[in-house]
Amino acid sequence: MIQSRRNFLRALPAITVGAALAPAPAIASAAGEEEGKHRWAMVVDVQKCIGCQACTVSCIMENAVPENSFRTIVSTYEVHEGKHTGTYMLPRLCNHCANPPCIPVCPVGATFQRKDGVVVVDGDRCVGCAYCVQACPYDARFINHETGKADKCTFCAHRVDAGLLPACVETCVGGARIFGDLNNPNSKVRHLVDQNKMKVLKPEMGTQPHVFYLGLDERFQGRVEGEGTLWQPSGHGA
Amino acid sequence: MEDKRRSFLRKAAIGGGLTAFAAGFSTTAGRMLDHVLGKDQPKQRLNGNSLAPEFSVNPATGALSINPEQQVSYTMCTGCTTFCGVRVRIDKKTGKVLRVAGNPYSPMSADPPLPFQTPIRESFVSLTRYEEKGLAGRSTACGRGNAVLEQMDSPFRVLAPMKRVGPRGSSQWQPIEFDQLIKEIVEGGNLFGEGEVQGLRALRDLETPIDAQQPELGARVNQVGLMASTNEGRLAFVDRFIKQSYGSLNMVGHGSYCGGAYRSGSGAMFGDMKKMPHAKPDLENVEFCIFIGTAPGNAGNPFKRQGTLIAKARSGNKQFSYVVVDPVLTNADSLAAGDRSRWVPIKPGTDGALAMAMIRWIIEQERYDRHYLVQPNLKVAEASGEASWSNATHLVIVQPGHARDGRYLRGSDLGMVFPEEERYKDKDPFVVFDQVAKKLVVHTEARGVAELFFDGEAQVGADTLKLKSAMSLLREEALKHSLADYSAACGVPLEIIEGLAREFTSHGKRAAVNAHGGMMSGSGFYNAYAVVMLNTLIGNLNRQGGTLVSGGSFKDVGEGPRYNLENFAGEVKPSGIPIGRNVPYEKTSEFKRKKEGGKAYPAQAPWYPNAPGLASEWLTSAINGYPYPLKALILWSCNPLYGVPGLRAQIEKDLVDPKKLPLIVAVDPFINETSAFADYIVPDSLLYESWGWAGAWGGVAVKMSTARWPVVEPKAQKLPDGQAIGMETFFIALAKAMQLPGFGPTGLADNEGQPCSLERPEDWYLRGGANIAWQGKTPVPEASDEDIELSGVARIRPLLEKTLKPEEWRKVAFMLARGGRYQNYKEMFGLRLPPPADPKAHAAPAGAVLAKTSTSAGIKSLAAATVAGAAVHAVKEEAPYPSDWATHRYTKPMMLYNENVGTTKNSFTGKRFSGTPSWHEPAFADGTPVRKKYPEAEWPLQLISYKSPLQNSYSIGARRLRGIHPDNPVALHPDDAARLGLHSGDQVYLETPGGRAKATVILRHGVQRGVVAVEHGFGHRELGARAHRIGDKVQPHEPAIAAGINLNDMGLSDPTRNGRNVFVDPVAGTTVRQGLPARLVRA
Repeated sequence: MIQSRRNFLRALPAITVGAALAPAPAIASAAGEEEGKHRWAMVVDVQKCIGCQACTVSCIMENAVPENSFRTIVSTYEVHEGKHTGTYMLPRLCNHCANPPCIPVCPVGATFQRKDGVVVVDGDRCVGCAYCVQACPYDARFINHETGKADKCTFCAHRVDAGLLPACVETCVGGARIFGDLNNPNSKVRHLVDQNKMKVLKPEMGTQPHVFYLGLDERFQGRVEGEGTLWQPSGHGA
Repeated sequence: MEDKRRSFLRKAAIGGGLTAFAAGFSTTAGRMLDHVLGKDQPKQRLNGNSLAPEFSVNPATGALSINPEQQVSYTMCTGCTTFCGVRVRIDKKTGKVLRVAGNPYSPMSADPPLPFQTPIRESFVSLTRYEEKGLAGRSTACGRGNAVLEQMDSPFRVLAPMKRVGPRGSSQWQPIEFDQLIKEIVEGGNLFGEGEVQGLRALRDLETPIDAQQPELGARVNQVGLMASTNEGRLAFVDRFIKQSYGSLNMVGHGSYCGGAYRSGSGAMFGDMKKMPHAKPDLENVEFCIFIGTAPGNAGNPFKRQGTLIAKARSGNKQFSYVVVDPVLTNADSLAAGDRSRWVPIKPGTDGALAMAMIRWIIEQERYDRHYLVQPNLKVAEASGEASWSNATHLVIVQPGHARDGRYLRGSDLGMVFPEEERYKDKDPFVVFDQVAKKLVVHTEARGVAELFFDGEAQVGADTLKLKSAMSLLREEALKHSLADYSAACGVPLEIIEGLAREFTSHGKRAAVNAHGGMMSGSGFYNAYAVVMLNTLIGNLNRQGGTLVSGGSFKDVGEGPRYNLENFAGEVKPSGIPIGRNVPYEKTSEFKRKKEGGKAYPAQAPWYPNAPGLASEWLTSAINGYPYPLKALILWSCNPLYGVPGLRAQIEKDLVDPKKLPLIVAVDPFINETSAFADYIVPDSLLYESWGWAGAWGGVAVKMSTARWPVVEPKAQKLPDGQAIGMETFFIALAKAMQLPGFGPTGLADNEGQPCSLERPEDWYLRGGANIAWQGKTPVPEASDEDIELSGVARIRPLLEKTLKPEEWRKVAFMLARGGRYQNYKEMFGLRLPPPADPKAHAAPAGAVLAKTSTSAGIKSLAAATVAGAAVHAVKEEAPYPSDWATHRYTKPMMLYNENVGTTKNSFTGKRFSGTPSWHEPAFADGTPVRKKYPEAEWPLQLISYKSPLQNSYSIGARRLRGIHPDNPVALHPDDAARLGLHSGDQVYLETPGGRAKATVILRHGVQRGVVAVEHGFGHRELGARAHRIGDKVQPHEPAIAAGINLNDMGLSDPTRNGRNVFVDPVAGTTVRQGLPARLVRA
């Protein structure tokens, strides 16, 4: 059966998995565990993402993200390989790394990691120098042109602290975004991370991201080199 | 490795592009300056300007604390035609809608939904981190659903009535008092200084024929027409006004320029060309699914539910794979799902060739479900384990010259006696050839299987008739072209066609094919009929993992259990010929006259007896005056000039001329491309301000109704009595001014005939709610005080108590609090529903106990009628149906041959249409192929329309959607681009025989060669794209709203027709936007 399908609809050439990968980050040593009760993390099941951008817009509405900036977005690629063409959808957000390169570069100590692993910016201290923006290998930070401060995904800490879920998770139509506490042995993210081979973006940077991708094609782990859309976020920062 | 990688990602990015997330640091230096210059300090130290949570939950105990400054209410989204149940979060102080997500009770938004009885408090907790309930129980809004709340505060909203002051379409308006508005529209007069205009009072002539020579057209009142869009829960109110109360026959929706071709094709198979039933795949259980002309998870209806289920299926442990057949690659495909998701490109408008090839292969290889197709009737089919049945074995008279050639042979042909008016109608049974008895029997009396491929002569009364079974006719049609010819026509390689057909027939009934709006081509009807026929060949209807019909909705209108929202004293029963000509040409005076003159065909313009109301033909008919002109047009939340391909170029100049259509009134919250030509615009309620009860369009196999109620105060201007001006207040005021029946202080009646008022919107919708509450075995429960408080229903509690009876209002509140009424989701399969309430048809002898057991498929069906009083409906205790049968089954036969289509003549050529699915190259009304008129040499490309998940025809005003997806560059395959020397970003003129537009090109491998793909939803001229002057104020405008192009501006007219017209499908009368001949010229 499977064979016949492969014959009539040319299968995607096998993707080599594993060899080129860095090992999964050492989650157990995350900063949160020693000090905090929780270690928040997200699993993104890429097979479930339908690229509807519900996460993108809900985040904008929840967090008053200024026009043409994004705390999260779903990059959507048309992939052409041999005779086969397909759609690849990749949700992106701050990875809330265990080893966040954005923190040490802050000259005023405004950006820091909470004990539960959430990387945040203290708006009272931030001077908007954007060193952190440049230091983030995931392009997950921007300067909010309304507040003049560094801005980024907080895992909706204000909601999580209130016992709620991040806005993007609540409204994920495909159910691709799964959020929870890695320190809770019964949490869904803990189970998924334990039972699956997770991938992270740019593992070679040693940042130890805490957004884990389930079923991610390794060729999307790094910077994706392709032609962009004709559109660029108009006026972002302008 | 490097090389491979490069080719792997040569061309990329469909939306939310590569650069979007990388845009962060390019302007860092500028930012540093900004900081020095000073900005607004964020409200919170760590959380910036994020919203305060609507409530909080103790994650250990689940205890809920409400944020008293916010309200969360469950209502309906009208951001697209899915009409999902949503939860709306409101800032109580300002009334501003802060955010929208899903309603956890609604199967349109949650999978699975919460049980209907769940208290509101518990529903809030179900969305949170407590026990991680919010992950499994998440209820979502899509990207657009999250964004459309911006429209509430749009600067482009029409909030008060206005009247044009300049020429039509010149964007000059003045505000007008409501009373004056009603007076002018009702009484007419020299309203614009351009001469007398007849008002609605004078136009309501229920007696005088439009044309004494053509009495069949009906009375002059039919010259007032109302165009609506879709049933977002208020259509019945509009219907009551224009048809029953005012008396015009002419009201039409948007189906003929939406996905009508699919619905008509499906309607042919389901045997109902007016209501056009259709089925959707059971995505929770199907093993192999083919989507042709529809893109699950990318667009379509129900958008989120399909997206959720397809995502679950392709990532889950059950056997599942799917194929999307489409000229353009969309988000319906997922490379991450590997072999489970595949895209097969096809030439535009040729789906029928693919489907007929598959049908041919399936018949030749005998891969069809013989056991299903040989069943002669529902009873025998059920007894042998089939949950639905077909007319494959029914015999058709195939004898040219015979009076009933092309008709089904009926019982009366075999000598059964019927009153003349019942002869050849529903009660006159069909005839099959009984395989055991070896003779003709009427299908209702057949006890076993019937001959599937009958093709021969039989003695019928005194005649010897040539007869063929429907299956034989389908085979004959499928064999008209070779597989190679079909393959060449559709551009899908033969091995893929065979592979699809083999795979499709390898899963028993757990396979399905689905179509929708992509069927809008010049041969859309037959393409759709052929595609859906594949489902019948494997007999998957009503079966788990196959195709399911909608579970239907609880009816608010009609003669309900609490109120009569249907009939009233003095109601008019409109009659005549609809202006869209969806009736037989042969019944017109024109036909008789021309026949007497010796040449009955062609008609002056095509007629469509097998179509529903046709907005596609309406406005051109009105301008042409054929069958008659319109004197007044009311537009309610519709936009045909944007949506009907080719219409704008045809009638724009005519609409500007009031002599051609003297009065145009629009009821709309915005000025759109059509209402811009109105004489008056009346504001309407928008989104969460509005009332309505809507069902699921399809794809939800349990019964459900979604409630929409004003969870925020409407913004439009208020009347002295405090009501906001909107569609309902406008029609109520018109009715009052003209003293029309069915409105006013005694406009309605309860179920006992006691009069009650219809003077405010809630009079209608709350009483409709009471009807819904009382449906089924037991009425819904009463809302608790806490439900009412937490859900925000408290805000309208005074309205409920004032409008409804004491025993009613808490039940209606129970539903409003939950955003609707929903059948238990677990009842989707295996439930035996009570028979329809027709005592005559289902009376069982009193005291009789019937027991029947059929073991052929392990079914045990016990029917017992208890002793009951004569007037009391028999109470039945029956075993459930098999657990893989749909609870809501469609029980009429699937028609392999549709005799109504098969005996209809093309009103131009006089030639009969095919009654089975078939493959026809797209052609104009007189049969001339499109490619003959517009050959490839001159028009080498073909245009197609497609949708993204974000934009539709009226969403462009949402700023944050534009921020993600601001434009629609036209997509072209790199091979075609190379031939034309074009690169991504180049400016071109896109030309069709119907129009020309300047566009930007983007190169995509995800487009079929020879195709230019244009995304729907852009190229607006209104909705804020142009500034209007209202009174002495110039309204704002936003150039970004005008971005891109609208394919419909380049639609074709039919060169074989006279007068104004747009190119439509010859059977369904539906517009054509797939496969328009085109060319690109470098700009």
